[in-house]
Amino acid sequence: MKIFATLARGSLIAYTALFFAFIYIPLALIAVYSFNANPVNMMTWTGFTTEWYAQVLGFKTKISENALYLESTSQLVEALWNSLIIATSTTAIATVLGTAIAIAVYRFDFFGRRFYRTIMFMPMLMPDIVLGIALLIFFVNSGINLGLKTIIIGQCTFLISYVFIVVSARLAGMDRTLEHASADLGANEWTTFRKVVFPQLLPGVVGGALLAFIISMDDLVITYFIAGVDVTTLPMFIFAMLRRGIKPEINAIAVMMLTFSFVIASLGLYLRSRQK
Amino acid sequence: MRDSIVRLEKAAKAFATPEGQTVTALDAIDLDVSRNEFLTLLGPSGCGKTTLLQAISGFVQLDGGHILIDGEDMTDRPPYRRPVNTVFQNYALFPHMTVGENTGYALEVAGVAKAERTKRVGDALRMVGLEGMEGRKPRQLSGGQQQRVALARAIIARPKLLLLDEPLSALDKNLRQSMQIELKTLQHELGISFIFVTHDQQEALTMSDRVAVLSGGRIQQLDTPRAIYDQPKNSFVATFVGASNLFEGEAGSGQLVTKDGLSISHGRQGATGAATALIRPEQFFIAQSGDSAPGLDVDLEQIVFVGSTFELFGRTVTGRRVIAEIPAMRRSLVGEIEQSRRARLAYDPAAVHLLPAEAA
Amino acid sequence: MTSIAFRRRAQLAVLLGPVSLFLAVFFLGPLAIMIVTSFLAPGLYGGVEWTWYPHNYGRILGFADPMFEDFDPIYIAIFLRSLKIAAMTVLATLLVCYPAAFCISRLSDRWKNFCLFLITLPFFTSLIVRLFIWVLILRPTGLANEVLIGTGIVSRPLDLIYTDGAIILGMVYVFIPFMFMPVYASVEKLDWTLVRASLDLGAGPIRTFLRIILPLTAPGIAGGAVIVFIPALGNFVVPAILGGAKVMMLGNLIEQQFLAARNWPFGSALAMMVMTVMLVLLFIHVVVSGRRGFDPATGH
Ligand SMILES: Nc1ncnc2c1ncn2[C@@H]1O[C@H](COP(=O)(O)OP(=O)(O)OP(=O)(O)O)[C@@H](O)[C@H]1O
Ligand SMILES: [Mg+2]
Repeated sequence: MKIFATLARGSLIAYTALFFAFIYIPLALIAVYSFNANPVNMMTWTGFTTEWYAQVLGFKTKISENALYLESTSQLVEALWNSLIIATSTTAIATVLGTAIAIAVYRFDFFGRRFYRTIMFMPMLMPDIVLGIALLIFFVNSGINLGLKTIIIGQCTFLISYVFIVVSARLAGMDRTLEHASADLGANEWTTFRKVVFPQLLPGVVGGALLAFIISMDDLVITYFIAGVDVTTLPMFIFAMLRRGIKPEINAIAVMMLTFSFVIASLGLYLRSRQK
Repeated sequence: MRDSIVRLEKAAKAFATPEGQTVTALDAIDLDVSRNEFLTLLGPSGCGKTTLLQAISGFVQLDGGHILIDGEDMTDRPPYRRPVNTVFQNYALFPHMTVGENTGYALEVAGVAKAERTKRVGDALRMVGLEGMEGRKPRQLSGGQQQRVALARAIIARPKLLLLDEPLSALDKNLRQSMQIELKTLQHELGISFIFVTHDQQEALTMSDRVAVLSGGRIQQLDTPRAIYDQPKNSFVATFVGASNLFEGEAGSGQLVTKDGLSISHGRQGATGAATALIRPEQFFIAQSGDSAPGLDVDLEQIVFVGSTFELFGRTVTGRRVIAEIPAMRRSLVGEIEQSRRARLAYDPAAVHLLPAEAA
Repeated sequence: MTSIAFRRRAQLAVLLGPVSLFLAVFFLGPLAIMIVTSFLAPGLYGGVEWTWYPHNYGRILGFADPMFEDFDPIYIAIFLRSLKIAAMTVLATLLVCYPAAFCISRLSDRWKNFCLFLITLPFFTSLIVRLFIWVLILRPTGLANEVLIGTGIVSRPLDLIYTDGAIILGMVYVFIPFMFMPVYASVEKLDWTLVRASLDLGAGPIRTFLRIILPLTAPGIAGGAVIVFIPALGNFVVPAILGGAKVMMLGNLIEQQFLAARNWPFGSALAMMVMTVMLVLLFIHVVVSGRRGFDPATGH
């Protein structure tokens, strides 16, 4: 009996180890192979190099003499730049709108509250592709030229939902007696909001904004449909590269992107855990 | 020898705490429970009561020793193959099943046919006074009703032994008292042995055939309620069960002299050596002038009226605390001493119990 | 009194107004137009003709426009295949996540939080990068084949990539957090004394699992299944990368209608199929969990 219990426990632990191995070994592999010097087969190790990183970052390398590579690097930089512009704008808009609606739904009593609460989940649940083509049809029919503007609008429709959910989780957990205490002590509504509600709400707002930023940087499907012909974002660039054929510097790009989102996500989760 | 239903032989269990120490929860326990007996485990928190029950039901694996149920060695049997059922402290009713399904669960898993199951579920629920509630969900019942369902569920398969781990602790006082009586009656009707765990000594004394007082993973005393109360084996049992006044000292024939010079009379001739005398508070009475019974002179610090009795908190000249309980019908006497703040607490030497001295 | 009420109204209008307008125009508006488009006739050179035309759905479901074509069951086959792949993805993520959820729920708080952190982290990293890794592993010259050949298990590279299996693997990899979180939430809330009670009453481990553990964690499983199934069904990135040209799913088909074939009404009709499945699933989910009422296992 005792042996069985130990065995069962052991196999559960082994299983969980496998589970994490499944999640993280591929990520580790890509990090390792991003330093592989083999330009033909990325998975056959022929030596250590940082050339791909140098290449991606636009430094002079042996390969970068080649005109074709130069072009792809400048495209990459442009794609990254586009992604950053889009993510910054969408984050700003979605954070303001998402927070506003969260406050309205959780601090006001009005007809249609439940409707709002339900409808706010829809953009998140809606399959990307459906929203993507719906937006495409809409923009084309209304004569709006596809480009950065349409991407920003399109991403906001679902990013508002994410911000809403994060902020309303915060609002739902807030102690309202503090607000009553503040009002009781003579603070007017605006002062109470500024001094009591907002500071408590801030971690939720920041969390929502970080989430929106990451998701915006990562969005492929919706952006893909409404980007038009002139604008390429980072995920689109990689997607196109994958479809055309893989080049070694994609490893380096991938590792840099992973590092970037790891840092932001860890920061966000760390801040959240500190708040508790 | 009585007919034994459960026997523990040198049952031992130690736990490793997260802090890296080991706690002995069961310290080589020997225990025999007879057929149709109501045995109560009584002891302070952490003394190993739950561990003992779980060793019997099979949720705790012993480090050493054996468990026999009805003569069969069960030490290595999993819980689901032991003829023992448990009533859990928080009832543990399955929230996704109806009362009927909960109650019939043991029969269902044993493969009893539906028709018979329905009938026996009805019988079991009638037995605990929940006729016709088969269709309800547990959350639609009150705490007392949930308790009864848990009971019906545990007895339906007629186990050889029923284990109850503080089953009444979540109920309010009145409900608790009526459930005590019902449990006792039920046990009689069913003819199943019960091992009952409680924190409440009153409950232990009123319900049980025998009480096992546990402390530190050991059975300190296993006896009838009266013997536990009147003749505790050691000062732990004496203080844990009921209030007590203990006087350690040197025993002589008919007398015990404490270090601070008090002399206590007792009925035991020929006692010698270090010993402790026990006088229960209710054995004291207020001596009137001319009483020849032995007694202690005390200054009264407090007199508390608790309904049926007065509790007197006094102090001897040597500074020792003494508690006495005086029946409320003698309130005229109490009135007198309330004035003087002094009393002589007399006792019958025959009622004084001598405990053997213990190593400190 | 009225002035306070009036001020609240005004505040509410400021908070709700812009969002409502934004979502009405850019979310509900596009969906409505898409629905309308799915009932319009495709123009000859892309574009649409404003006439009632149910045959977009007919092409999928069996009443194709007799003027242009015979009914070709290829579309319903792709639809069914997408359903199948999505269902298998759900099953596979569940099989991967369920035991892990049990194990992690029994760890000490510190380890538990750390594990949860590790599981959520990939969700925040680039989807495309995570899929790309599997291309490197599964390619004919990829790591998996190298290992298999190197250890002598096979002599020639296996076809690992561009298969249903590769798609399911890729989906499992990206959807693990979606399944894990709801499943974990209900496993974590599982009351283990109920498991003990069941064992105590004579039910063996398998019986106890089927009769107690599974029903009590079912809400989490159902929630996870819904939120994995929906994005899996319409997914086009995973099949595009790991399915190549060989494996067609609804997502790729829709993409083709918009970016290659330029038959928007048909593409819209296909998207409507995806949305209908989603709505049906959500409806069932809401009805079932609503009928169950308050569920102590999930706290919903
Ligand atoms: N699983 C365990 N791991 C470590 N220590 C344990 C475990 N179970 C019990 N113990 C320890 O064993 C001792 C006996 O515990 P047990 O639960 O049997 O006490 P109890 O008499 O039932 O107490 P209570 O009246 O509070 O229920 C305690 O010191 C407890 O801390
Ligand atoms: Mg206990």
